[in-house]
Amino acid sequence: MNGEAVASDWSGSRRTLRQFLARLTFVDVALWSLRILVLAVVIGGTIGTLIKTRYGLAQWFDFIMFGVTIGSIYAQIALGYTMVYGVLRLINFAHGDIMMTGAFSGYFLATAFDRSGFLAAHPVLAVLGTLLLSITVSTSIAVLAERIAYRPFRHVRGLAPLITAIGVSFFLEQTFRGLFGSSVKSYPDLHWQRAAFVVGGLTIPKIDLLVIGCAVASMLVLYLVIHHTKMGTAIRAVSEDSEAAALMGIDVNRVVVFTFMLGGVMAGIAGVFYAFVFKQVYFYMGFTPGIKAFGAAVLGGIGSVPGAMIGGFFLGIVESVGPSLFFDGIGIPAPYQLRDLIAFTLLIMVLIFRPNGLLGERMAKQRA
Amino acid sequence: MPQLFRRIALPLIASAGLLASAPGGSSGARAETLGPVTDPLGVLKIPKGAPIQIGGYWVISGADAALGTDEVRGVQIAFKDHGDRIAGHPVKLSVEDDGCNAEGGQTAATKIAANPNVVLVIGPACSSAATAGAPILWKQGIMDIATATTAPALTAPTRKPEYDGFVRTIYSDIYQGKSDAGYVYTQLKARKIVTIHDGSAFAQQLAAVMAQNFKDMGGTVLSVEAIQPTDVDMHPLLTRIATEKPDVVYLPIFVAATAQIIRQKKEVSGLESTIFIGSSGVMAPDLISAAGPAVIGFRIGYPDVSPDALGKGYGAFVAKYKDAYGEGPISGYNANAYDAGVLAIMAIEKVAVTAADGTTYIGKQALHDAVYATKFDGLSGPIACDSHGECAQFKPAVYEYTNADPTTFDIGKNPKKVFP
Amino acid sequence: MSGPADPAIATLLHDSEASAHAGPARRVVQTGLVFGVIALYLAMIGLLLMLHGRWIVIGVLSLGQAVLLAIGLGTGIAIAWRGVGEARSALLVQSLLAGALAGGVLALLSVVMAVVDLRGIFIALSRPLANMLGLGLGQPLAPLLLVLAGALLAVLGTLLAWLPRHPRRVLLGALAAVVIAGVFQELIQIMMQAGPAIGVLRDLLYSWDGLTPQGAAIVFVAAALLAAGVATLAARAPPAAALSPRRRKRRQAVLLALVFAALVVLPLIAGSYIGQVMMLVGLYILMGMGLNLEIGLAGLLDLGFVAFFAVGAYTTALLTADSPHALAAYTFLPHLSFWAAMPVAVLMAVIVGVLFGVPVLGVRGDYLAVATMGLGEIVRVIVLSDFAAPLLGGAQGVLQIPRPSLFGHELSGPVQLFYLTLLASTLAAYIAWRLETSRLGRAWMALRDDEDVAQALGISLVRSKLLAYGLGAAFAGLAGSIFATMVASVYPSSFQLLISINVLALIIVGGMGSLPGVIVGAAVLVGLPELLREFGEYRYLFYGAVLILMMRLRPEGLWPSPVRRRELHSDDQAEAAQAVREPALAGQRG
Repeated sequence: MNGEAVASDWSGSRRTLRQFLARLTFVDVALWSLRILVLAVVIGGTIGTLIKTRYGLAQWFDFIMFGVTIGSIYAQIALGYTMVYGVLRLINFAHGDIMMTGAFSGYFLATAFDRSGFLAAHPVLAVLGTLLLSITVSTSIAVLAERIAYRPFRHVRGLAPLITAIGVSFFLEQTFRGLFGSSVKSYPDLHWQRAAFVVGGLTIPKIDLLVIGCAVASMLVLYLVIHHTKMGTAIRAVSEDSEAAALMGIDVNRVVVFTFMLGGVMAGIAGVFYAFVFKQVYFYMGFTPGIKAFGAAVLGGIGSVPGAMIGGFFLGIVESVGPSLFFDGIGIPAPYQLRDLIAFTLLIMVLIFRPNGLLGERMAKQRA
Repeated sequence: MPQLFRRIALPLIASAGLLASAPGGSSGARAETLGPVTDPLGVLKIPKGAPIQIGGYWVISGADAALGTDEVRGVQIAFKDHGDRIAGHPVKLSVEDDGCNAEGGQTAATKIAANPNVVLVIGPACSSAATAGAPILWKQGIMDIATATTAPALTAPTRKPEYDGFVRTIYSDIYQGKSDAGYVYTQLKARKIVTIHDGSAFAQQLAAVMAQNFKDMGGTVLSVEAIQPTDVDMHPLLTRIATEKPDVVYLPIFVAATAQIIRQKKEVSGLESTIFIGSSGVMAPDLISAAGPAVIGFRIGYPDVSPDALGKGYGAFVAKYKDAYGEGPISGYNANAYDAGVLAIMAIEKVAVTAADGTTYIGKQALHDAVYATKFDGLSGPIACDSHGECAQFKPAVYEYTNADPTTFDIGKNPKKVFP
Repeated sequence: MSGPADPAIATLLHDSEASAHAGPARRVVQTGLVFGVIALYLAMIGLLLMLHGRWIVIGVLSLGQAVLLAIGLGTGIAIAWRGVGEARSALLVQSLLAGALAGGVLALLSVVMAVVDLRGIFIALSRPLANMLGLGLGQPLAPLLLVLAGALLAVLGTLLAWLPRHPRRVLLGALAAVVIAGVFQELIQIMMQAGPAIGVLRDLLYSWDGLTPQGAAIVFVAAALLAAGVATLAARAPPAAALSPRRRKRRQAVLLALVFAALVVLPLIAGSYIGQVMMLVGLYILMGMGLNLEIGLAGLLDLGFVAFFAVGAYTTALLTADSPHALAAYTFLPHLSFWAAMPVAVLMAVIVGVLFGVPVLGVRGDYLAVATMGLGEIVRVIVLSDFAAPLLGGAQGVLQIPRPSLFGHELSGPVQLFYLTLLASTLAAYIAWRLETSRLGRAWMALRDDEDVAQALGISLVRSKLLAYGLGAAFAGLAGSIFATMVASVYPSSFQLLISINVLALIIVGGMGSLPGVIVGAAVLVGLPELLREFGEYRYLFYGAVLILMMRLRPEGLWPSPVRRRELHSDDQAEAAQAVREPALAGQRG
């Protein structure tokens, strides 16, 4: 390419200050109007909603609890995304479907436990058993996907890995549909599931606490693994610079497989908890939460473990509270239909203001 | 950018004059005489031993696959009941996937219409597919008998002549919405409702028709809510609805989202005494397995298909269905599809002329007229088309689920008929 | 699930290099298991039975049986390939054993199905499948026969692989012709209605149900003769590399002209269904060329491309439709014709494209993928919403969009609309080609290769990026405009994320930055699934598998641009260097 020709024609001689200013102004004006619009909706809507006093403290608390619950599931899926991205720079598009494989296989065990009465007699053991199967399946599929589909692209730049990941996603969905059918199946109820603590008029369902606690615990464990084990050090080294890591004698293959295993484990746990809270499993169930979780990972700063966690919670809460808080007040009909609008606007706003996500600084700079 | 303009636009303008118009050449239907039959739209010739080819287009992929598959089976059973033969020829039903959208319906219909031996088409399940597909078929003089497309516009008196070839063995949303509103207002004595739709054309339309009728009766529609069909966390929406304290929530949406809503309503305070009513889209055992015990008490506005009202054969039909496919009906429109199959058989046999050498001739206009003129008592009620293609007669009923075991699904028992 | 076989699949797909030096026993077990598990997989997801329902040759061979035969032959071929240079007798024994193993896996399934009913979990394990695998013989005999057949087929496959190149090609070509003639019999029969002369040929080959045994024999012989002729000719003609650049160029030009002529004529012969499929492919080509400007040239990853398509479609709908949502119904604007609305639609798409570009100007790399996907979803949600329904029709869409008319003649059939699309695509291809070689195009490429360097060279990032979004959007807007008039109605359900993914996939599969690549990619990823419409859901399984295999076998795409090809070549070299380095390191560690 003739760099000089490009340079001389596209800026140099003919670029005047006036043009420069005009261009600057247009983009700035557009961005500022976007900010003002979003702020106006947020502030106007919030004031409007609060004036209406349609929702009391109990309702707001419920909204936040619901948000935190689904957010903790997003967070757990996002952890898998973030791990894999950190090490391979690969958007594992199929990660949501890996969660589906775990949840789906867990379903058969959970219903068997339910029919035999084991679930009622030993709920903890039954849930642990279901978790174990789910984790085994999702981890093996994650590792297999890496081995078969992703490994050949380890050194390929460009979009081929992303397309492969999309292919893996379709393949997993359709395989499970072919094997188990397209009907909606549903997890059995745990008999203590409806139980809740009541504190000062606010209800906190036990299952929500369990899910949230488990997500936080997984994040802590993951954090410890990454920062305080030998393998974790290797993971960080590979994610920093895989060639240099290889020169230092790190077995990159092992690190990558281990990373996918961690992602698979997270997906397996997330799948079972998702299914115990939201019950339904079917072949397509992983797609939407997968995309949301990906958004959450980017929101928090992809590649960062605490970032994925915070991104997940944040996204969950905004999705739950946002429609009522922002849209109710300015009279927009059917606000919950626009839930994804809020989620993605939030994502884009974060990317404009903090292009590297809430907690991701190191990553993105080097990435570009 | 003058340089860009020079490079691109100028040569284009220069060559614009050279562009010739695209060659035309539409075939379409035209008058012809074959054998003993003369018909203004053309005549189909079926040699001895050749099959009568029936086209079909339904959604058999994606999230709504159960809807279309169920109807394909209904038509297959209708043909099987008739010995898989029409007018002395074997029947061949070729089904295409329309993906439940307009472009899918158009492509599927084009594929079917390209086969000049297709006698008649049954399907689809989705109104968007029918809107795009039916005119293509009728352009070739092919009749289309739809099985679950409920959009009022398709059989409105104002419909365009290109829809002349379109009839349906299912009632319009207008009747369903009106009857549901009447039930809620007069039977349940409810005055305040909320509707929920999922952004599908069917649910949005039915919810709107019902709400309009309810308002006209003097009731109040507190709000019109909407969700995405893939949403799983309905708690915030239900919390919001609970603050309005509605008597009834009307949600004519599909299995997955309905199950999430009726499960999660138990976890939201303030909705304990609210009645939830759905529609034909969830008249399926799948709903029971998806919703679990929460399904008990959930009601569905649906035509009256109990043996005493009509369709004496429905029980036997379900038995045949189970025998053939290893499971009970998986969606709500199999009886309508069965009737579409019967309507097709009766109309074809009425106009088919078989010559001495065994060749059968069918006039297209004659078949069109025969479909409109055929009357019989079907599984889903009496079938008789009016001049705008509405063939089903709607007898309203409401059903309520009483058992959480999917194997007990049996329209009339579980869900049990609670009205009339 | 498919536990035991997993490493085996891995080996197959991960190439034979690694296991080329493996012992014969290991090779036999691996190959046999891989092919056995492929057969098992097809059976368990229900595909085998579905294919069994279609004849290739009536009464003789179903598609499902053909797939099983191919798997059997494949076992032997794989053994032959992996054992190149070894003693042939030993290889024959190996393929015998591997084939028996592959057959054994299926035999095991047939035995298991006879003993326990697993249909409660695996819905595809039904009685008809048991009948198919039972070969009409019943339990003790059928599994044995499966093992035996596997062994024999594998030996046959090995022998096939050893055939000299020329006869092998002829044989395979003839077999492929029979399969195509059988599988696409419906389409071919429709095409063969042009005249009485062709009618005679049709009656010779086909009955109402499909290809007759006699027809299959005719097709086989004819195709074999043809293949032999072509092979002889090709052997005589000088190879392309030997030609002077000028003659090569001329040859390319002739080829291009021939392809174009075929495109113009094909729908006229093949009729409206092929016309419709080609038209859909044409729309995706339009979008692909637009996205190619963004990704292929400017390197801006965009997963929200469907937004521009939607803008084009809705603008056309609102300006032309005979519906209460049309602008003419409640504003002073008149009803426009398609020709007047199309430029407006394109312009709107450009404006939205530029506005779309502004917020993501500073976003780079994979973040851009998420940001654009978000923007695309935002557009979809708004179009669908009750909030915007008074303007855009919401879930009910906008109906009654008129067809374009030309000199008083309405372009309503798919074939005529295909010509409109072809015209638009040709125009767009011309523009894309000129853009590619323009200064702006080179600025984009500089941007793609390194933003910072490009900026240092004085390229205005803002301007070039926004132009890339705007011009890319113009193509999608044009496609959307034609789409609206083609379907005559627009519904929000037509503008899913899947379309963005589809467009992205087709330009990657075709070859990034390459115009012919876009066309090939669209034909493979859009045209083929359309022709497989009656397979319903399994289309997406094929789609996923094709994406994975394509990327595995030809990561540079089917028809890469010369620049890309060179780049990937240098990548290969780098990788080779890396490969040399890694074992050395391993040695150090050890």
